[in-house]
Amino acid sequence: MTKILAKLRYFPGDALEEFKESDLQAIGDKFGTVVSYEKMERREMKNGLLMENTMHSKIEEITQEVITIEGDEENNVSNCIRALYKKYRCPRTSYSLMGSNEAGHKVAWRLMEESGVGGWE
Amino acid sequence: MRILALNGSVRKYGNSEILLKQALMGAQAEGAEVEILNLTEYDIGPCKGCGLCLFKDNVCQVKDNTHQIFERIDACDGLILGAPCYFLELTAIVKQLIDRCWIRGHNQVGLKRKPASVIVPYATRGWIPYIFMQANILFNVLCLDKINQAAVCTQGISEVVLDQDALDLADRMGRELACAAKTEDHTYRGEKGVCPSCHDNLLRVLKDRETIECPTCGMRGKLNLTDGKIDVAFDDKAWEDFRFRLNVSYNHFAYHIAPSKDYFVRTREERKIKSQKYRDYLAK
Repeated sequence: MTKILAKLRYFPGDALEEFKESDLQAIGDKFGTVVSYEKMERREMKNGLLMENTMHSKIEEITQEVITIEGDEENNVSNCIRALYKKYRCPRTSYSLMGSNEAGHKVAWRLMEESGVGGWE
Repeated sequence: MRILALNGSVRKYGNSEILLKQALMGAQAEGAEVEILNLTEYDIGPCKGCGLCLFKDNVCQVKDNTHQIFERIDACDGLILGAPCYFLELTAIVKQLIDRCWIRGHNQVGLKRKPASVIVPYATRGWIPYIFMQANILFNVLCLDKINQAAVCTQGISEVVLDQDALDLADRMGRELACAAKTEDHTYRGEKGVCPSCHDNLLRVLKDRETIECPTCGMRGKLNLTDGKIDVAFDDKAWEDFRFRLNVSYNHFAYHIAPSKDYFVRTREERKIKSQKYRDYLAK
């Protein structure tokens, strides 16, 4: 069983650039981790704007792109997440790591807070 | 056509009031009906952060008379804000009003944009770095397009009447505001700043030491030195991050705020257990 699992939930507008599965796989391979991608899309065009009522929804069900990183070595997972943050920025909200295991949450969160890594500050 | 002046000064007949009244005289000369509100005469309480406006009723629950100010803002066709700079930025009443705009800032779909200007009397040159920041935030959350901004060096109470250039400037700003409201031409007429949106000169250096950002607008760019001059470059993509752009502001509400309700509910028990020691500590 994988020791470290981190889920990064990017909501519309959060990522610096478009996710491409080939790029994600290349980053995963480079650091000896498995990186997978999942997209949820529930928005509809209304008044010229892509809109969605998220107020009463479960976080996992709203429009988002989820990057999952799995690995056994903390150093590898850490370097992989660092590379993802460098390319896409880190996700933004306090609930953006939901679904991670404890070890994965810890690594991904600490990197968000590390000076110059998260891409927002 | 109605032009509203918001005065953020406590001083009666102070420089802010005088400059605003001069601007209103200018607007009136262009055919506007005019009105002035002294913000400090209203009870504008702090935002309680209760979240009810966002998560429940869509209406602010604080019982004071801030809603009267919003009614006047909604009824006007153009707005001019005047507030003094006492300590690097505008007076606290302006920030208090901004905080109370939370729900309005997230309900902008379909709102008509109106022109606005800001004029700031201040005492000492070099002590005014943040004076336009609050006005820029307020205008953006109220769906107002800033068409001009000015800082006027003046100090003692009503001293600005000695400065004819400043009075002329205020008059001109009032006239152009009325014209902008009439013609719906909201082109920015003031001195251009480095940010192409708010025209402020504030920049935040990100920790990557490669990127700069307008802290108000969230637009990002690069710094270059050309012949010893700082050149700030924002490309077209920067506008996609403009935090007050309708879709960006909408996404912020829909994905960064609204889903926190689900997270809040899910973590209720854990929060309750872990926060108990803080409820007990220093409890009377």
